[in-house]
Amino acid sequence: MTYINNAALIKRQLMVRLAKMMFAGTLGTQVDYIPLQQAPRESASVRCCIHHDRAVLRYRLMALLGFAVENEKPEDEIRTLASYVAEVEQKGADRLDDKILTVIDEACSSCVRANYRVTNACRGCVARQCIMNCPKNAIHIENGHAVIDEKICVSCGICAKACPYHSIIYQPIPCEEACPVNAIKQDERGKEKIDESKCIHCGRCQQACPFGAVMERSEIFDVLRMVLNPACKTIAMIAPAIVGQFNTELGKVVTALKKLGFDHVVEVAYGADLTAEKETAEFVERVEHGSVCMTSSCCPAYVEAVNKHISNIKPLVSDTPSPMRLTGEWAGQKWPGAKRIFIGPCVAKRAEARASEHVENVLTFEELGSILVAAGVDVLECEETTPDQVATATGRKFAISGGVAGAVIAAASGRGVKADEKLFNGLDKKAFATLKVVDKVIKNTTFIEVMTCEGGCLHGPGVISNPVVARRFLEKMLKEHP
Amino acid sequence: MSKKFKITICSGTACYVLGGAQLMMLEDLMPAEFRDQVEIVGSACLQACRQGGSGQPPFVKINDYLMESASIAKIVDYLRKH
Ligand code: FES
Repeated sequence: MTYINNAALIKRQLMVRLAKMMFAGTLGTQVDYIPLQQAPRESASVRCCIHHDRAVLRYRLMALLGFAVENEKPEDEIRTLASYVAEVEQKGADRLDDKILTVIDEACSSCVRANYRVTNACRGCVARQCIMNCPKNAIHIENGHAVIDEKICVSCGICAKACPYHSIIYQPIPCEEACPVNAIKQDERGKEKIDESKCIHCGRCQQACPFGAVMERSEIFDVLRMVLNPACKTIAMIAPAIVGQFNTELGKVVTALKKLGFDHVVEVAYGADLTAEKETAEFVERVEHGSVCMTSSCCPAYVEAVNKHISNIKPLVSDTPSPMRLTGEWAGQKWPGAKRIFIGPCVAKRAEARASEHVENVLTFEELGSILVAAGVDVLECEETTPDQVATATGRKFAISGGVAGAVIAAASGRGVKADEKLFNGLDKKAFATLKVVDKVIKNTTFIEVMTCEGGCLHGPGVISNPVVARRFLEKMLKEHP
Repeated sequence: MSKKFKITICSGTACYVLGGAQLMMLEDLMPAEFRDQVEIVGSACLQACRQGGSGQPPFVKINDYLMESASIAKIVDYLRKH
């Protein structure tokens, strides 16, 4: 389950403030006031003082403007946000290098390295199993309580198991624990750093960090600039998971997007229909040539995981382009020259889009929501309109786990190929281990679907709606338009 | 018989995006003691976001009381006290 958290709300509030200024045309001159407005003088601080809060807010705004906070040089600390706005205007997309996520050093709380902690439930007993069994001699008694020396502790966990009072608890570093590929690690100062050569951009560290220290490098600025420029034609390509994101019908969201200034709105589920078709043909052909299994390729974090961590199974991954790419290609032919903006729940799509010639920019649902709030467009008050390109239920089901496999297997069976399905619903360490040898463990002809987010895209890091709520809307829609 | 509390959750876009989405789970998370005392309804924009001085979204109305920066915890707390 995803819990609502304050760090995410602060980010959205900042996005609203930033977008409001862009609509008013005052961003270049007013942006430096945002930290002051967000943390006014008389307000209670979250960190040690409001000045620290404001410093962190400034870094958040840098990330929202698309900059990697890590690239800040020591002398840049006195730079104004206005100077960053000027830099975006001048450099455009060139400022977006390979890093998708950025860690705000100033916000990272350098969590305690040792994963075990003695709580005040410790009674300082005579048995002292914790001390007697610690292989590193890392525990001693202080004021009648056991204390773990974090510099010596190797987080083996024996003490926690040994304590008869269960007074030693496991306390992980949230981002590191959430990362399925060990891509985020502390540096010598205890600050987290993301290793780009390992990162698959799943966005879990961002969701996990209780200090909101990991942020996406947003493209809000780029998108709004295009949308606000009447000479620039824009296409909103909305991911299947958008259903239910605003607690209302899809048709109203379409109108809201047009009110914002998008010229065309297409369902990426339409591209998913195409993906399903092509992927089935590919699967059938592979089976006819003697393969036993093939995996889906629409989840970009999974594809990245294969490339960076389990490249031995690369030949098993479908070559069919993702729904986003097919939609982009189609839209590019239909409206040549128009800018294609993918709007979805996904962080990893940012990397996929940057590597693709068929998509210009990516927004998440929460970014879109914040922009709508800033523009004063209320989705519930919009009329319903049909998207410029609609999809079928097959493509719309791509938003949930089982949707891709269901589509391919049904269509393959129509072509005389009977196949089993295997779902990897959520990419964790265990799934990695199985995937690595998947072709050895699979016996019958099988289509393998892999979704990095457990539950599918409705559970992505960029969603607004609680997945339970979104799922109700999706199911209703599938029922009405089978 | 009318219920003791009528809770109106705003799902206008400003409220929904800025924290209101989670309030849709109120019904599922309502403590058993209040289950038969509350009626929960959704609503379009309550207009509170459009008038200054009402506080921050998300807004929720409990009978006639307008709660700003609403959360499930805050709502349950209010029910306990009244
Ligand atoms: S959106 Fe809730 S009061 Fe306006």
